[in-house]
Amino acid sequence: MTQMAVQLPLPGFEQAQGEWRSQYSRQVREERPIRNRSGIEIQPLYSQRDWSGERYLDDLGFPGQFPYTRGIYPSMHRGRTWTQRQLIGLGTPEDYNKRVRRIIDAGATAISLLPCCSGFRGIDCDEVDPVLLGTCGTVINTTDHMDRALDGVPVGEISTAMNDPSPFTLLAFTLGVARRRGVDWSRVTGTSNQSDYLSHFIANHQFFRLSLPGSRRVLLDHIEFCRRHVPNWNPVSVVGQHMQQAGATPAETMGFTLSTAIQYAEDCIARGMDIDDVLRRFTFFFDISISFFEEIAKFRAGRRIWARIARDRLGAKDPACWRFKFHGQTSGVDLTRQQPLNNIARVSIQAMTGILSGLQSLHTDAYDEAIACPSEETARVAVATQNILREEARLCDVIDPLGGSYYVEWLTDQMEAEIESVIAKIDAAGGMYTAAEVGLVQTMIGESALSFQEQVDSGERKIVGVNCYLIDEDSTVPPADRPDPDAMLRHVERFKAFKRERSQEQVARALDALARAANSTNENTFEKVVEAVEVGVTHGEVIGCLRRELGFGHPLIVA
Amino acid sequence: MEALLKRLRAGDSRTIARAITIMEAGGSAAANLHRVLLPSTGNALTVGFTGPPGAGKSTLIDAFVAELRKNGRTVAVVAVDPSSPFSGGAVLGDRIRMGRHTEDPGVFIRSVASRGHLGGLNESIQLIVDVLDVAGRDVIVIETVGAGQSEVEIVEVADVRIVVNAPGLGDDVQAIKAGVLEIANILVVNKADLPLAARTVRQLRSMLALRRESGRNVPVIETAANSERGIAELLKAALDLAPQTPPERHARRRARVRRLLAEAAAIDARRRIIGRSDEAFIATLARVEAGELSVEGAIRTLAAHPELRSAASMQTSGSEQDEPAT
Amino acid sequence: MTSADARPFRVLVTKIGLDGHDRGSRIVAAYLRDAGMEVIYTPPWQTISGVVKLAMEEDVDIIGVSSLATDHLIVPKMMTALREEGLDHVRVVVGGIVPDEEKDVLLSAGVSRIFGPGAARDEIVDFVAALGRQSRSDRIDEFSEVNS
Repeated sequence: MTQMAVQLPLPGFEQAQGEWRSQYSRQVREERPIRNRSGIEIQPLYSQRDWSGERYLDDLGFPGQFPYTRGIYPSMHRGRTWTQRQLIGLGTPEDYNKRVRRIIDAGATAISLLPCCSGFRGIDCDEVDPVLLGTCGTVINTTDHMDRALDGVPVGEISTAMNDPSPFTLLAFTLGVARRRGVDWSRVTGTSNQSDYLSHFIANHQFFRLSLPGSRRVLLDHIEFCRRHVPNWNPVSVVGQHMQQAGATPAETMGFTLSTAIQYAEDCIARGMDIDDVLRRFTFFFDISISFFEEIAKFRAGRRIWARIARDRLGAKDPACWRFKFHGQTSGVDLTRQQPLNNIARVSIQAMTGILSGLQSLHTDAYDEAIACPSEETARVAVATQNILREEARLCDVIDPLGGSYYVEWLTDQMEAEIESVIAKIDAAGGMYTAAEVGLVQTMIGESALSFQEQVDSGERKIVGVNCYLIDEDSTVPPADRPDPDAMLRHVERFKAFKRERSQEQVARALDALARAANSTNENTFEKVVEAVEVGVTHGEVIGCLRRELGFGHPLIVA
Repeated sequence: MEALLKRLRAGDSRTIARAITIMEAGGSAAANLHRVLLPSTGNALTVGFTGPPGAGKSTLIDAFVAELRKNGRTVAVVAVDPSSPFSGGAVLGDRIRMGRHTEDPGVFIRSVASRGHLGGLNESIQLIVDVLDVAGRDVIVIETVGAGQSEVEIVEVADVRIVVNAPGLGDDVQAIKAGVLEIANILVVNKADLPLAARTVRQLRSMLALRRESGRNVPVIETAANSERGIAELLKAALDLAPQTPPERHARRRARVRRLLAEAAAIDARRRIIGRSDEAFIATLARVEAGELSVEGAIRTLAAHPELRSAASMQTSGSEQDEPAT
Repeated sequence: MTSADARPFRVLVTKIGLDGHDRGSRIVAAYLRDAGMEVIYTPPWQTISGVVKLAMEEDVDIIGVSSLATDHLIVPKMMTALREEGLDHVRVVVGGIVPDEEKDVLLSAGVSRIFGPGAARDEIVDFVAALGRQSRSDRIDEFSEVNS
């Protein structure tokens, strides 16, 4: 825990500060306290009374040095810029392929794939009304689909993130594609960036796949499989995004996320895994809101707290385990439907916030995100935003440029205190898994969400175009980019044909093996998933099988 | 009315739902309808579940319902949630945890808000249960959040009264309030795969051994709802408590009707006494205040002299009245 | 006036289609509860037949559907299914993002109103209450005999 600043004797300081205060009060007669989203009261000015830096080495350190407050690597973005990892997902595998080829040609080294919501629901494209398919993500239900989606994409050279929750069928398809192309699995890199099942249950978004204990089991199997067979893959990404989008404050979000990481680490240790081996591949995934300084302080505090947790609480010896690696996405929740072009400004600020927070990879939203999936044009602006910040605003020139700012350091300490009190609350409840089961986290988030909304409704919290600076606008909502319905119907027909033509016997045997593994205590379910998709088992079939054996996912609490 | 009853007995969903709405609202409409239905009741088995939050009750009920369906029984679930004491509204979210059964016509689910009933809730629930009974549902499950005295009253309505516990919820069995344990005829330790489960089972068994009615044979069943462990055993234990012969069924029904009458009488008596402001009554009150008459004596006096009805005491049942100005 | 009319309005808040974001619908559920209504709340990904069964069993007055992406395109199918089960009196509102040229499709299918994301609390609550009154006066009260 970081100590408060020591009072330094500075001749004339008190007097000058006193003078400033009285002049300030004359100019600003009455003001209500200003609080940030985490509830911390913000003063008009900070000085070395608030943070004076004697604890620089203990609390900040240099970049790449414990506790990594200033950055996890010595050279940070100046040495190697953050990874631009833009989400793409729309329509059929061919639609995806067209777009992804374009960004790879433009130099991207990392790609992301957003699957269709039907995939999140755990069903295949032939189980749903076709008018709903592919509007917010790409429909991928088999290894063949993935092969077509990644046609011409160098699977062994490019890092992928599949946005695929348990049981990680999309990674299974990718491994299948790698095998077909003779690419050794040790060259497959990327992250299972929706592996955090607790955040799904809590933010009530993707729980429909498997029960809570079932998800726990499958994640552990997934981690073990990847450690052994896909060693350069990150099987765990602890996600703060869903909770913040559901209404958790930034401090709560970091607190819950770190608590979740602790829970998963402890689960791995309980299973007999080596903590250093596992923790080194933990990554984090956060939303970046427009609360500029608060977010920067949140991430700096997060780095510091995680370093101490990893080393001192979890006992990891390898410094690679102490480094808080995170991907940030600009928060769609701050974007408005009203006057959508304003969102370009918002995203720029959020992106700058993320860069100054020291993230490792970044996705910037398109300005029409509040309305629908982005078009090619709006997606281009989102990428240009990152390029402008790097090349023109030259945000990479200095590492942690806000370090040493009295306000930012003071706020980092405050956020640290808030975050730790959240972690303490979760600890007292028995850990994140139990806290989620009894609904504690959901209740806290619901309260924060309602409180935020009340502030917006009352006008206390201002959002341009929504409750202030309103214009008599043409509230037309432009038609969204939708997949070609005929192409989608053909895709579904082709899929149905595929199901008819594959070996039903092999499929039945594979599903049987999967079911048996699920009911055993020592077999690896993810290994069976990988084997199953090799013989043409589909996404929906894998999940259906595991649901039957491991339990249906229930939402845990309502309001 | 005949056509309506026929549709109800045939199990028409819409008719059931409408009848329940009437029962929820209470009053003379509910009483009239109930009178017509009562002779046909007594066939369904009612199973009440209660227990502290975090015990995994909803998941357990979901598994229990699935097991009932596997056994070919039709089911109804009455899920009770508290209404907000401030606004009178409620968010009723129990049925969402029975996601498996959303399309099964063999599972009828109704969410009921307590609506600020003070002591009259179990009457409402009884009436609702009777509708579902007449509609031909084999088993009627009543679910309540374990939160106070009301949970005891609600579960008392049921033939089978299951209290669900889970290990590690605070000081283990402290979560079971006195009163709830008294009425339970099946105890469940859910999440039995957790390490502390065995201890919880032991604690419950020793508490049972200390009970006054030591002849009662209350099983303690271990379940792990997610893996379906213990569910078949729970079902069997519940079915074992069903009345086996027509005389048993009639005896149960009579006991229920008696209890209904007792509760209605209590509510009525309370309403009358709170609502009375005639001279004779005020005089009696004064005598009690002055220590001339005991409370018990006052009740006997009042029972002997029927009061002059004031307008205030003619309100419909189900609503509590404030003390009128004296 | 029977005692049934003094009952709180019963509102189903739900999501059909594929979108999973429910922060908005939870907040609306809280608004309606605080206005004294009974809200039956479902998670996302409900099917149309599941919603119709629920509306029937719970005897709801109003259904609020939260919709993003193309979810609203299947709302007319839901309206038809409700009518087929004799639930015509149930009023339906849609909340979320609906492209302008598709709003008429919903309104002609019988949806009472489409609320955009910026809708104010009072506006929503007052409108839903008004719909509740309409729904109640439209319902055919088969049990009218018991009120005598």
